[in-house]
Amino acid sequence: MLWLCIQLPKLPLEALTRAHRASDGAAVAVAQNSLVIEANQTAAAQNVEPGLSIATACAYCTDLQLLERDPQREEQLLQQLAQWAYSFTPVVSPRSAEREQNQPDSNFACLYLEISGSLKAHHGLASLLQQLGKELRKMRIHHFMGLGHSPSAAHLLSQLPEHRQWLAEARTAPTPQQWRQWISFAPSKLLDCNHKAIAKLYACGIKRVSQLLAIPLSEVGGRFGRGFIDYLARLNGTRPDPVPSFEPPAEFHSELFFPSPLDNSEQLLFPAGRLVRELCRQLQRRQLYSQQLCWVLDYGSRGHQQVPVEISRPLLDPQRLIALTKLQFERVELKEPVQTLTLKCQQLRPIESHSLREDFFDEGSKLHESYQLIDKLKARLGHQALSGVTLKESYLPEQAWQSADSLTLQSKARGHQLTPVNAPRPNWLLPRPDRIQQRDHKLFYDGELQLLQGPERIDGYWWQHHRHARDYYIARGAHGSLYWVFQDLASEDWYLHGVYS
Amino acid sequence: MPGQQASSKPRSPGQEPPQPLQQLLTRPDIWQLASGQRHPRSGISTGYRGLDALLAGHGWPHAASTELLVDKAGIGEMSLLLPTLAELTRQGRMVILINPPHIPYAPALVQAGVQLEKLLILHPRGQRDQLWAAEQSLQSGVCGALIQWQNRETPADKDLRRLQVAARDGDCLHFHFRPGSCAQTPSPAALRLQLKSDGEQLALHLFKQLSGRSGQRVHLARNPDLVRRDQPLH
Repeated sequence: MLWLCIQLPKLPLEALTRAHRASDGAAVAVAQNSLVIEANQTAAAQNVEPGLSIATACAYCTDLQLLERDPQREEQLLQQLAQWAYSFTPVVSPRSAEREQNQPDSNFACLYLEISGSLKAHHGLASLLQQLGKELRKMRIHHFMGLGHSPSAAHLLSQLPEHRQWLAEARTAPTPQQWRQWISFAPSKLLDCNHKAIAKLYACGIKRVSQLLAIPLSEVGGRFGRGFIDYLARLNGTRPDPVPSFEPPAEFHSELFFPSPLDNSEQLLFPAGRLVRELCRQLQRRQLYSQQLCWVLDYGSRGHQQVPVEISRPLLDPQRLIALTKLQFERVELKEPVQTLTLKCQQLRPIESHSLREDFFDEGSKLHESYQLIDKLKARLGHQALSGVTLKESYLPEQAWQSADSLTLQSKARGHQLTPVNAPRPNWLLPRPDRIQQRDHKLFYDGELQLLQGPERIDGYWWQHHRHARDYYIARGAHGSLYWVFQDLASEDWYLHGVYS
Repeated sequence: MPGQQASSKPRSPGQEPPQPLQQLLTRPDIWQLASGQRHPRSGISTGYRGLDALLAGHGWPHAASTELLVDKAGIGEMSLLLPTLAELTRQGRMVILINPPHIPYAPALVQAGVQLEKLLILHPRGQRDQLWAAEQSLQSGVCGALIQWQNRETPADKDLRRLQVAARDGDCLHFHFRPGSCAQTPSPAALRLQLKSDGEQLALHLFKQLSGRSGQRVHLARNPDLVRRDQPLH
């Protein structure tokens, strides 16, 4: 077992400000119960640090932007990060931040990753750690890491500067003995327990974990309780250290919050690009794809708006997805300034190998280009503006066809399973039959109509209430146009139903 | 119009002539008086021999706009294109219809040999979206033919030019149905045909043809199955 603990010390701040550009230089701090919890770099440079009261912080930094801590958003971001981590290893466990009364966070939020199984796939420990670090930096998530034989050990070691130094250069994992050495060398204040217990340890003169381990367990239990002994055993590796396992939903969900809402759809493109790139990286590793990106523009208390982007086939190219998104956003009129931009992909599907293989053939790449065109048209014109037609088996002419999803273009070699009737049919069908004027046993539609041939009796659905009994004729108009007309046998009215164009 | 600028992509390597002059001469929008002998067959057969004989490339001009000026529906204007569309879809190329006036009736299209899987119908809202969709489709390179119906607004000359350029870049047949009143205004289309009905025949008037003669008329008989006369019943 090889556990990696990724500590996320600035999550309260990042959950609220991740959408900002890196160059955005405003001083921002997150506060809770009138105490500063976290401050960004600009604010920290002006002496704003966690633990200050809001009044003091504002005195240090006059243009400080204060944001209320949002635990719910924090939890969401942690879940998103767990989903991201899941694309590296199937054993992931997120742990939320814990607070004690009137104290800064005693424990940062963190992620536990069991990575022994994914070393090979990522070309060894060093390159895996490097990739994890790089992607976290891209997502603008501050972090530090520790490696251990159990989650508790990794958590403890992540706080040890010597260990972090070693981790930066590590190529292979050390032996359990080395870990025990590190752990016993660690100062006891790094133990994962409450402030009271640590104060008690110091009162007993126990400054290093080694000193603690030298005391007989029964004695430690007497002073600190069973839970503490249990923790020590897990730390030592003498007892299993279970963590709740994260089960990723079969969907992607990531969002960016804007403390100062955006009122221009063009401004949305930059954060949208960030979300799309996150999506593509994760889907690629999990070998999944999505047929729809669903953007949700949240107007805060004024509701929200969904902007779907349809994708006809497996597509994991961020540039193209952003281009499609851009086409959609151009059409969107923001009703209110946007507070949160969310990217959701429900129903992730596995990429089947044959769908990728198509691209290697010439015909496949042509097909691929036609999807690109269809996606582009859909993105700008809207889903409903595109359609195809197929045959349908029916006696009734208006039901002998149906509108098909434009995706039928996919099926390249599928012939028509149905064959149409042999009688001459018009190229155009009217959406609904148009009534023909009748005078003195003559028909008038744009001049007098002359019946050329017929009747062809179509008597369908006589077993239903709405019986359709019609006699169809081909008729010629005064200007040479050929029409498909019928007489309803029940009402004896005449209708125009099609045009032989 | 927003969207991409029409980029002039190079032609496929097989077609690319070595000299710039040669390159110029192959452009369908350059009128060459004596081109009849030089390019004996560059068009795509219309499926009607009489019409092919009149057209400079012995068929629909390749990678260029063709304007069909029609006032009355039902005179056989779609049937004129169906053999070409059937052939293109059989070759696996996409055919796009933009704003057809009614529902393209699937049984009739199948009877004419059109592969429905290759047919895409677009209904863009408004003139801007329509022109954008036409330009994107024409220049995409995956579209064999694009047929477009003019809505109430008359497209500007520069828009027609852009469509003509897009058809050239994407190597696409572009058919544009327009009302007969447009005959008076000039157009960059490579071929302009006026379609009228002459009793039971479709009367074509070759209004304008780049790199070829114009002014001829030809009458195409309609499908005998349609105009066959039964005993009068009514």
